[in-house]
Amino acid sequence: MSTLTPDPAAPAAIERRGIRLGDVLFKGVAAVAAVGVAAILALLTYKIFALAWPAMQEFGLSFIWSQDWNPTTNVYGALVFIYGTIVTSFIALLLATPLSIAIALFLTELAPKRLASPIATMVELLAAIPSVVLGLWGILVFGPWIAQHLEPWLQSWFGFLPIFSGDPSQAGVLPAALVLTIMIIPITSAICRELFSRVPRDLTDGSLALGSTRWEAIRRVAIPYAAPGISAAVLLGLGRAFGEAIAVTQVIGSGNQINRSLFPPGDTLASRIASTYQGAGSNIEVQSLLYLGAILLVISLITNVSAQVIVNKFQKARRMSTG
Amino acid sequence: MSAAEITDPYDITAKSNNLGRRRRTQQLVSVLALLSALFAVFILALVLGTVLYKGLSQLSLDFLTKSSALFGQTGGIADALVGSAIIVGMATIMAVPIAILVAIYIAEYAGPKAASFFRVMLDILNGVPAILVGIFIYGLLVVGHGQSAIYGAMALAILMIPMVARATQEVLELVPRHLREASLALGVPRWRTVYSIVLPTAIGGILTGAVIAIARVAGETAPLIFTSSIVTSQGVSLDVHQALATLPVRIFTLSESPSPDDQAAAWAAALILIGFVLVMNILAKYFAGRKRKSLEGV
Amino acid sequence: MKRVLTLMLVVASVAAIAVTAGGATAASAKKQDTNLSGAGSSFVFPLVSKWIPALGSAYGYNVSYAPTGSGAGIAAVTARTVDFGASDAPLTADQAAACKGCVQVPWALSATSIAYNLPGLNCILRLTGPILADMYLGNVTVWDDSRIKQINPKCTLPSTKITPVYRSGNSGTSYNVTDYLSAVSPTWKSKLGVGQSVAWPAGVGASGSSGVAATLKKTEGAIGYVDVAYALANKIRFASIQNASGKFATPGLRGIDAAAASLPKKLTGDGAFSIVNPPKGNPLAYPISTFTYVIVPTSSSKAADLRKMVYWAVTRGQTFGAPLLFQKLPLQVQAFAFKQIKQINS
Repeated sequence: MSTLTPDPAAPAAIERRGIRLGDVLFKGVAAVAAVGVAAILALLTYKIFALAWPAMQEFGLSFIWSQDWNPTTNVYGALVFIYGTIVTSFIALLLATPLSIAIALFLTELAPKRLASPIATMVELLAAIPSVVLGLWGILVFGPWIAQHLEPWLQSWFGFLPIFSGDPSQAGVLPAALVLTIMIIPITSAICRELFSRVPRDLTDGSLALGSTRWEAIRRVAIPYAAPGISAAVLLGLGRAFGEAIAVTQVIGSGNQINRSLFPPGDTLASRIASTYQGAGSNIEVQSLLYLGAILLVISLITNVSAQVIVNKFQKARRMSTG
Repeated sequence: MSAAEITDPYDITAKSNNLGRRRRTQQLVSVLALLSALFAVFILALVLGTVLYKGLSQLSLDFLTKSSALFGQTGGIADALVGSAIIVGMATIMAVPIAILVAIYIAEYAGPKAASFFRVMLDILNGVPAILVGIFIYGLLVVGHGQSAIYGAMALAILMIPMVARATQEVLELVPRHLREASLALGVPRWRTVYSIVLPTAIGGILTGAVIAIARVAGETAPLIFTSSIVTSQGVSLDVHQALATLPVRIFTLSESPSPDDQAAAWAAALILIGFVLVMNILAKYFAGRKRKSLEGV
Repeated sequence: MKRVLTLMLVVASVAAIAVTAGGATAASAKKQDTNLSGAGSSFVFPLVSKWIPALGSAYGYNVSYAPTGSGAGIAAVTARTVDFGASDAPLTADQAAACKGCVQVPWALSATSIAYNLPGLNCILRLTGPILADMYLGNVTVWDDSRIKQINPKCTLPSTKITPVYRSGNSGTSYNVTDYLSAVSPTWKSKLGVGQSVAWPAGVGASGSSGVAATLKKTEGAIGYVDVAYALANKIRFASIQNASGKFATPGLRGIDAAAASLPKKLTGDGAFSIVNPPKGNPLAYPISTFTYVIVPTSSSKAADLRKMVYWAVTRGQTFGAPLLFQKLPLQVQAFAFKQIKQINS
């Protein structure tokens, strides 16, 4: 329709150009920010590997299974710290996962409404405690309690197990693992809580209608439904445990050996970097510490990306199945 | 086994003959779940209680207004308080605008593949351990130039960006389509729509994300050890080109001291830090409430 | 809502400007006061703490010092993050090269005490070098071991487990102790050697002299090495160590003086004077004594002031050491120090 009067909603010629410019600018700035942040991530990965490269050349892949960490002869290896990282994190996972699932279930399914909200807040607050404060508590309160009460008790009941052999120690792998447990419970339980609250009501209601108890409904319906999310939550908690440097270095005792027992001191990748990096004497020592950092980066990335892959795969599957 | 005890599995009106056992299992599980939740609450109460009990007695005006001391003395945390405020403040100023822009790009402008890529990138960045971010800034900037509060703030900003960006992106996606479409239909340019309509509607969520990120990053120690730990000024300093004392690093140093006075000071400093984090969390809940209200209103 | 956003942006920018401007003015204001910043050895921190106010009143210097450990101090001065570094371990050839024109000056002399936690012990503990080495090697594990009982006939030793405490990270005090242990134990020398950090096979690591003192205080049966000033300040008991003359010496001023007496009258080299395990003939000598060094770049914008500061430290500053068990520098070491100082700002 030919316009006799200009359409007020149509932009004037000059406005049209201005609008495009504003949009282009805005989109451009936003895009630059996004690409910039991606570049920071890339630069970080590159920098750590670049700084570690001379040590990688010197020691090769055998660095990963070498137990030597000797600044006098400048021979370095990561096995003691990989072992420490894996042991502390997996113990934390083993203890925290059932607790987190139980807490999440309690808050979504089993708790009376009035109790759920304050307890949920308190579990969130546990996440808010800075790791250095948890470490402070670990050094001054938790560690001594573990050495004076928990470890002797474990030894008296389970002392036949090599992991509870040896002398109790205030600083060691066990206190570090327990501190990590406390740190990852809030993360894992928060994710599990969201997962359980998203389980479609009609699924659990259907089970209840068929005569199951609440627990059976949860066990047979809600948990399998949320299982991929739970595994993602577990992986995220694991990633957090891998990367924790400060609280661990405060209570783990900077040990240099792999011990069968959990009582003596040990060390993790993050904790060794934190305690030694600033004072490292020779270039090769610095580079070897960064080699540890590169290993830490790789295992953190793998756990994080795995968590995302699981979530994406099952989200897609779910979307397709529910149509 | 008598015929009366064999139940037809398809008969839903038949009484299950192990109902008692199943009910007991149910009760056991409920109790275990309750105990787990109470255990978490117990640990929280234990840690917070210890911090409160041991820290409160050490808090005094002196403690808050004097600075770190020499060998044999304990001193106060004034320099650490100011230093932390400056560094966290700078980190926030650096991180929040960038994070909002990234979120806007993902939520408003990027195609599905690009959006997915950047979302994954943010999640990966979120999972990078804080100590590696500290080493990154150390290797990139501190070496050769020395430590400074600015570098510390940059390290903290890198930690904050994914948190704020994710929160912002999620709330931007919650803003109803019809708001945007109505605005665009009226001839408002795309960028104006985002800036004047979408963002303000999302402000509650953005503030929640920002405040949570601030609370998280206020307690971070590892990045600051590499960028702002060799403090070379006595007393409160505002010089951002030098390393400044910070609360987390101060707590870390005091935690390893043999002197009971230093340990008491550590508890008191921890009390202040936790207090700050708690206040931030309460603030976040307030903003989350406002976000719900503003999104419900549309 | 938009107004709130804009308001927040304005406040944020104002704050940012204020902070940077404040920082800039603070930096320029500071330049009128001479600021000398240092980092490094925690061993010398007690003495430096006494020097800081004295230097302030003598020359108006605003000296600050961060006791980060010898290794971190060397790294910091190499990166010129600080004006001077302090280390109990002399620079290695690599470190000296990396520091690019740094000179090391011995500026204090003290001893590393072997401190222990045995509450209610009814005597002063005596130890020998080989036994100490075996404790840290993990070969002697309980306090009532026959070897310890043999040299401590008057002591009632408990059967508590021995927990050796060592420094995590790089430490000049570790260098001093491992230097001594290598001298008295061939096993130690071949297995672990001398260094700011070695592959400690047994015990618990702690961060800084403070950390070692803290771990000692709370772990019954622990034994650790720490600068004698820290042991005194924290009321931790320390052992008498047998020297090459067969006598059990204590880390007091006389013991340290006797150890330093083993130095030749004329000193050459770069300053790495080891006085551990002095030879027979000095019955009072405490065998784990050490010099500690300040590491100063020879040319920098503050070279003139650094020169004055170090000169003051090795002359007037020595009078502050006695209550902290820092012995005055022997004359030949002081003369050597003067020679090194001449290289600063030359």
